[in-house]
Amino acid sequence: MARAIMKLENINAGYEKLQTLFDVNLEVPEGEITVIVGPNGAGKSTLLKTMFGLTKVYTGRIVFDNKDITKLPPHERAKLGMAFIFQLENVFANLSVRENLRLAGHDLPPDVLEERIKEVFETFPRLKERVDQKAGTMSGGERQMLAMAIGMIRKPKIFLIDEPTAGLAPKLAKGVLENVKRLNEQGYTIVLVEQNVKAGLEIGDKGVLVVNGRIAFDGPASELLARKDLARLYLGVGGR
Amino acid sequence: MVDLNLLMSTTIYGSVLALLALGITIIYMTTKVFNFAHPRLSLVGAYLAATAMAVYVQHAGIKPNFEGSQVLGGQLIVPYPASVYIIGFLVAMVGGVLAAMFEYYVILKPLLKRGADFLKLMIATLAYDFLLMAVLLLYNTHVWIKKTLKDGLNLIATKMDFSAYDFALITQGQTYISGGFILAVAVTVVLALSLYILLFRTTLGIKMRASVENPPLAEVLGVNVERIYAISWIISGLTAGIAGFLMLLEPSSGSLKPISATSPADEIVVSAFAGSIVGGVNSIFGSIFGGFFIGYVETYVTNWLALLLGMKELFKYSRVVSMFIVGLTLMFAPQGVIALLREKKVVDRILAFVKGRRGEK
Repeated sequence: MARAIMKLENINAGYEKLQTLFDVNLEVPEGEITVIVGPNGAGKSTLLKTMFGLTKVYTGRIVFDNKDITKLPPHERAKLGMAFIFQLENVFANLSVRENLRLAGHDLPPDVLEERIKEVFETFPRLKERVDQKAGTMSGGERQMLAMAIGMIRKPKIFLIDEPTAGLAPKLAKGVLENVKRLNEQGYTIVLVEQNVKAGLEIGDKGVLVVNGRIAFDGPASELLARKDLARLYLGVGGR
Repeated sequence: MVDLNLLMSTTIYGSVLALLALGITIIYMTTKVFNFAHPRLSLVGAYLAATAMAVYVQHAGIKPNFEGSQVLGGQLIVPYPASVYIIGFLVAMVGGVLAAMFEYYVILKPLLKRGADFLKLMIATLAYDFLLMAVLLLYNTHVWIKKTLKDGLNLIATKMDFSAYDFALITQGQTYISGGFILAVAVTVVLALSLYILLFRTTLGIKMRASVENPPLAEVLGVNVERIYAISWIISGLTAGIAGFLMLLEPSSGSLKPISATSPADEIVVSAFAGSIVGGVNSIFGSIFGGFFIGYVETYVTNWLALLLGMKELFKYSRVVSMFIVGLTLMFAPQGVIALLREKKVVDRILAFVKGRRGEK
């Protein structure tokens, strides 16, 4: 098994006084896709946000790349090589594509930033065509593309992606998941929260089922996909 | 015939309002706080600048010189050397920034961390405003007057009339161009251009715009949003300080003197907020427009009504005009006049109207 690039140890977390995660222990293997699934309101997105410091951790420890990051603010985690892609509002609608990318790589040397922008344009040629367009005027699929490009600019060690296919037409959703797979093939570690359980687990290496703020399953994605009992109980898939 | 003195005086007043509205808008956009203490920050700048200038004039043994020198066919009268004004300008900015930083770090940031809502923050800014008012009044009546009497400085402290510092360009005949007017226009234009360059041509500007639009996303991209907020407060304090300095140069010939009352911020706060609301509380350049707009409309409408009704005392109620405009704005263009103009429909309607008028002719 690959080295764990991130470890969550006995995490209890939530939003101010509302606790939503209970005694969570989780390891994220380097270079793999970890897919987090679960029923609505189970705490999937909270788990992802907790990894990035966007919630309040009451007790427990988060280790990233052998460094304790439990108390680090999000902007410091970004500098350590973590990228987060929100489910909604994941690009700056009032900034152009170029400005979005410049912001993402704001602390890179100018020549490196230009090189990185060229690289993401090679991966997503559509963005090059829209370089001076405001992100708010682009389609949902293009915005997801830009969101991933924003994440790629800093060449992070890990991508945390929150429900990238939410609200997208099936064809577009498929394309977005293919992009996620492509990112992983380029060597990026990915933690993906996905509402489309089957499609998500099919591209994943590791599957994590979250129910009521606790980890109910943690193992190979294929095994979780095969567990008809869990799928029927918690995920609304699998049939009788 | 255009009353040049009134126009100049109103322009300075408009600049002061534009700068104050700009500061109010910047803070609302970033920290979502309606800072009622903002106009008072400018008075902190004004008081400190006036003190620094007076002390400097005294210690350097400078005697005011009201004799003019010939320039470009006119007569330039600058009672004090440029260094006095430069010191005043710098001290006013520092004073405004310090007062703003104190407000942010000591009062608002701890409240924000505790999750204080919009109303609590607003009340906190009011409390800070009262605190500053008390401190300034104490300074005005105890420290400033004593100093004035003791050292015999040529300043009327109780009314804070600093018009002795105004300088002027008198051209042939009786035409008088106030130095405050020249500085007010120059400073506002330079500040607006600098802000434009900062916001749209620099990485810091992109970070600021991003932090305003979506703070959590900016944060996950490595932007220290709290630092950006602090920078916004510095800019806001800077503009307040500059507004305070311009108040010192308000020509005594004008009909409106924002700092002639003992506690002028109580009144000017109405007009400054009106400028911010009319321009649009989410539009930096709109607030500059709003400030000037309120300055001119407030003055000229009151002036016109006073002449029409033969009631000079109407000037005391000039802020009513601002409140009336705020009411109209909130009813018909709650996003501000600039946002309204940005809507293509409105521009199209105006163009169609203009074309129609031309067609008739």
